[in-house]
Amino acid sequence: MNAFGNRNPVRVGAVGAILVGLALAAVPAHADHMEKHFSVQDKPKVTLRNSTGRIQVKSWSKSEVMVAWTNASGKAVVETEQAGNRVEIDTRMAEGGASPDQAKTDFEITVPVESELSVRTDSGNVTVESVHGDMTFDTVGANLQLTDVNGYVVVKTIDGSLVCNRCSGKLEANSISGNVQMVQPSLDSVRVQTSSGNILFDGSFMSRGIYIMKNFSGTIEVHFSANDSFDVNANSLKGAVINQASFKPDTHGAPRPASKWGHSFIGTMNDGHAKVELSSFSGTIKILSRD
Amino acid sequence: MQCEQFEQTLEQQEFEALPKQALAHLETCPACSALFADFGAIHSMAAELATDSVAPLSDNVWIALRNQLEAEGLIRDPQAPLRSVPQAGPAWWSFFQRPAMAGAFLGLVIAAAGAVSYLSNSQSSTAQSELTPVQETSSVLTANTVFKEEVLNVNDDSILGVQRQDTAVTDSIRRNLQIVDNFIAMCEKDVHEQPDNQIAREYLYGAYQQKAELLATAMNRNMTGGLQ
Repeated sequence: MNAFGNRNPVRVGAVGAILVGLALAAVPAHADHMEKHFSVQDKPKVTLRNSTGRIQVKSWSKSEVMVAWTNASGKAVVETEQAGNRVEIDTRMAEGGASPDQAKTDFEITVPVESELSVRTDSGNVTVESVHGDMTFDTVGANLQLTDVNGYVVVKTIDGSLVCNRCSGKLEANSISGNVQMVQPSLDSVRVQTSSGNILFDGSFMSRGIYIMKNFSGTIEVHFSANDSFDVNANSLKGAVINQASFKPDTHGAPRPASKWGHSFIGTMNDGHAKVELSSFSGTIKILSRD
Repeated sequence: MQCEQFEQTLEQQEFEALPKQALAHLETCPACSALFADFGAIHSMAAELATDSVAPLSDNVWIALRNQLEAEGLIRDPQAPLRSVPQAGPAWWSFFQRPAMAGAFLGLVIAAAGAVSYLSNSQSSTAQSELTPVQETSSVLTANTVFKEEVLNVNDDSILGVQRQDTAVTDSIRRNLQIVDNFIAMCEKDVHEQPDNQIAREYLYGAYQQKAELLATAMNRNMTGGLQ
């Protein structure tokens, strides 16, 4: 009696072949899905350089960085490197070349909550959730969505948009045609500039915070709470400044006359603890109280 | 000394006297000799832009710069027919593909933006009645002409490196170059119409900076970034 007992070897072989066939059918041709784990300590720094594809970064309580990626064509090669708490991930093209579609590589990265991130990609959406640490993002057209992140965040993009939900810490964002939205932020330093994009700040200005928002065209819209305390200086050279809140004259420092160029508004809300500067070349600036 | 070592030496020396080995290499290597000449020309132009006498010299500076770049084959007359360069992009793109040269040119762009700011300040300190017609002597327009004609005339055949990567990226860069270019034109119009408008000058300066950064991004993506 062999391992198959008295079963017919031909039948066993046929069943095996069918099972193998089913298994192969479940995997797309050339699909390349990989996953790697890196043990880290303290606060790792994770760097990802990709060309195109979706990038998702989230956090967990483990002292480990998990990197999973999928390249449907199998034409891209992902190289990883770890040196202590530094983890680097690079995507490069396999020999023989690949089209942008073939190069598309999607990433799912899970990091400890306290982690630093550096992401560079051309296109494809980037989402980051619940990560606390300094972050830099360099994209061409990739849209960026940050949720519940805390740290010093620097974003540079050409026409990608940025949506920042419940972000805290400091934000520097520079775009040419991308929109920037900050929703329920707890940021104490904001420097946002976009040329033709819109800027939305919907949240509270923190005491001692400095908020500078600037664009060339498009709309800058600020929604604040009546309890917020800030000085505001808004100027649009060619566009309108619309204020729908009750401010009192700025009483801090030397009196500042409104610019003789364009449309300006200067005022103080409560004690003027924070500083808000809004400027546009030809766009409209809206200052609105939520209350 | 090899070419790579020479380039490193050149960058480190920053136009101070080159060591003997580098000088010896210069005599035997036409490519490095041309690179050295390019650096010298750009350095001279940047130095001229940085001097206080930039305003009266500005037209000459830009004309000289243009002539120099044309003589080096780095740019072409936009009115002239395209040269046939098999397996290669336009000369100016090759220019950008040389990291040191590209960096130097971007430095020059920044210097030009600074010069624009300086010139605008100079203009604002003079009586408006003394302003000369815009089209005749404005260095702002002259600088812009250089950028528009030589750098921003991006067509489908121009950005070979970017096109290799992703047409979406190429399109994005080209589209945003146009956006920034339009902003510069609008700012320049305001600066000329209202020379003492400090805010318009600041926007113009910012737009030039964005253009420089955008070009840097285009180069960076082409030469070192992402999938090559």
